[in-house]
Amino acid sequence: MKAGVILFKGGQVATEDSPQLKKLDVLVEDGKIAQVAADLPIPEGAEVVDCVGCVLAPAMFDMHVHAREPGREDQETIATCSEAAINGGVTGLVLMPNTLPTIDSGGLLQSVLDIAAEKSRIPIWQAGCITKGREGKELAGIAGMKGKGAPLLTDGGDSIADAMVLLRAMEYAKRFDLMLALHCETKELSGKGAMNEGQVSYRLGIPGIPACSEEICISRDIRLAQYTGARLHIQHLSSAEGVATIRRFKEAGVRVTCEVAPHHLLFTEEQIGDYDTRYKTNPPLRTAADNEALLQALAEGWIDVIASSHAPHTEFEKNSDFGSAPFGITGLDTAVVSLYHHFVKTGVFGWDVLVKRYSAEPRRLCQVEPVPIEVGGAAEFLVFDPNRKTWFSKKFMQSKSSNTPFLDQELDGQIISVMKDGEFLLNR
Amino acid sequence: MAETDIKSRKDLLDIESLSLAEIEYLLKTAGPFKELFRRSVKKVPTLRGKTVLTLFYEPSTRTRTSFEVAANRLSADVTNFAVSTSAVVKGESILDTIETLQAMRTDYIVIRHGASGVPALIAKHTKASVLNAGDGFHAHPTQALLDAFTVREVFPETQKKKILIVGDILHSRVARSTSRIMRKLGMEVGVLGPGSLVPKGRPDFMNAFWNWEDALAWKPDVIYLLRVQMERQEQQFFPSLAEYHRVYGLTSERFKQVEGEGLYLMHPGPVNRGVEIVDEAMTYERCLINQQVENGIATRMAALYWLKPEEDQG
Repeated sequence: MKAGVILFKGGQVATEDSPQLKKLDVLVEDGKIAQVAADLPIPEGAEVVDCVGCVLAPAMFDMHVHAREPGREDQETIATCSEAAINGGVTGLVLMPNTLPTIDSGGLLQSVLDIAAEKSRIPIWQAGCITKGREGKELAGIAGMKGKGAPLLTDGGDSIADAMVLLRAMEYAKRFDLMLALHCETKELSGKGAMNEGQVSYRLGIPGIPACSEEICISRDIRLAQYTGARLHIQHLSSAEGVATIRRFKEAGVRVTCEVAPHHLLFTEEQIGDYDTRYKTNPPLRTAADNEALLQALAEGWIDVIASSHAPHTEFEKNSDFGSAPFGITGLDTAVVSLYHHFVKTGVFGWDVLVKRYSAEPRRLCQVEPVPIEVGGAAEFLVFDPNRKTWFSKKFMQSKSSNTPFLDQELDGQIISVMKDGEFLLNR
Repeated sequence: MAETDIKSRKDLLDIESLSLAEIEYLLKTAGPFKELFRRSVKKVPTLRGKTVLTLFYEPSTRTRTSFEVAANRLSADVTNFAVSTSAVVKGESILDTIETLQAMRTDYIVIRHGASGVPALIAKHTKASVLNAGDGFHAHPTQALLDAFTVREVFPETQKKKILIVGDILHSRVARSTSRIMRKLGMEVGVLGPGSLVPKGRPDFMNAFWNWEDALAWKPDVIYLLRVQMERQEQQFFPSLAEYHRVYGLTSERFKQVEGEGLYLMHPGPVNRGVEIVDEAMTYERCLINQQVENGIATRMAALYWLKPEEDQG
């Protein structure tokens, strides 16, 4: 066999531009895509991968991930997190800086990158904090973190309550061409809330978080970005009001991007049922009408990015009363298959949405080259078999935690291999 | 005792999950227990050899005593598990507590906790029957049962009768459970309280009123006053206790109207005289507060009688 020459034969190639899949063979040589064409002849000595019935899609990129290292290695490590990513067809991660300690200086950021270089089979980018210790008071060491390659700044998980602090951060970060990724929540309104405010929260006697808590903060933060000219990215949208506000500002020409997590498209507050803490996340799961609005905005292109908000927690922590249990749902192992099962297979949107929003756009936002399946490009794609199924057992999932509603569920479709630079990171 | 045509449950966690037939069965079962109190020997041997553990993470002398008396009268052995009520007890420690309880092989656990859903969590992890004696803002099912029993004593036919619940609808587990049981018994439910304490997320069956005039014009048969939690005032849900009394309390003037129309008065206790209720209302002959206390024991006996720990399930 000729080393490094692999022909993916008979599959259908997905692109970000069209929902139509194209029946093309893909020849990989020396880590690059050498040829893409229908019915390619098999080069002598090449390894042939039978892709009949399968979809070849550019590998995904997740710009919102909590790897918990350093500090909470009982929940997740960079090693397990990156393996969960590969398991889910993701070959690039941006890690959130809300670790212990928080990543708020160039030195700390470098220490995470050093771990990643040793432990991860995929490239890792580490985001930096906006403020020291995520306290919302003093600016973090922004220039130092930029110097170590921070793709964005975020106080992830917390909004910056003081508008003046945020305004200064925007003005400062702008000169380093750093995007600010913001979690939008008006703390005074969300208070001790643990789920969406409404009839379900009333029935369960759990303090609620109203949708306006998100929308008011989004509106404030976009106005500040408009005023300062900063690059702003709104994280994990959850409400119809929130996405409507972003749309309104986008139509007015303001430079703002946003993301949605699969769980905010798939689940509602109703599924909390009798205190199922697997559905406890912040921002909270809201109503079917909110899911519908988010889904429509995603299909129409108002939402730029899909990101998992992968937030691992131990079984012990989640096995607590609803108010005390931590917020968060894991997502790296499950994102592609769950979105395929619920939306692509059912025709709600095509593979183009998945490729554009979970592969190409997040890379562009983080100033990383997209990886379309094109001649001359990097061989960085996944092979997806719609005719197989995935059983999300604890054993299957590579994340150290399995706090996801998909635990022990079987969904249609399976990622059968993940290729990066000519090497199989995964081959089932 | 009453016939056992209604299958026992393991736990009593809320009112919502009870069927009308189960509620009727519990109310019917409580009747003979109450009659027992008139006898010189008030005890029956039903739960002889069984153990009841009371576990109160929030201080409550009244409810705990009521459960203890109920269990004693059924001949059960009652133990009070002393838990720290001073500090906020985090949910994490609960799972460890459950392990301890499981090892004690108690048959019934009566629990009150400041966090909604804790009794359900315990019920899931233990073979003992769990009786929710109040959890967070969520539920207080035995209070609802005793309230329903009390209403049935004055109105044997509850269909279309009206109950007006007055006060903090937002934070009250009593409002949640009692409104639901009355609704299940065919009553109409009205609520009255400050706008900041009557939430948008209330169930559709609650008719909301914002002043006494409108509420009394709705012609309620029973007025159920909730206890004002003093700390709410500090959180600025309303400006002052004096203003609360003036606008939402049962003042002397309103009490005269209530008395004139012969409406019944209820309260889960303990009352704040001069805040939600004036003194003179306490001695009104249609004030059912003391009856509620007595009925609490009978209905809690009915609940203990009906529930079956997992090991005793046929």
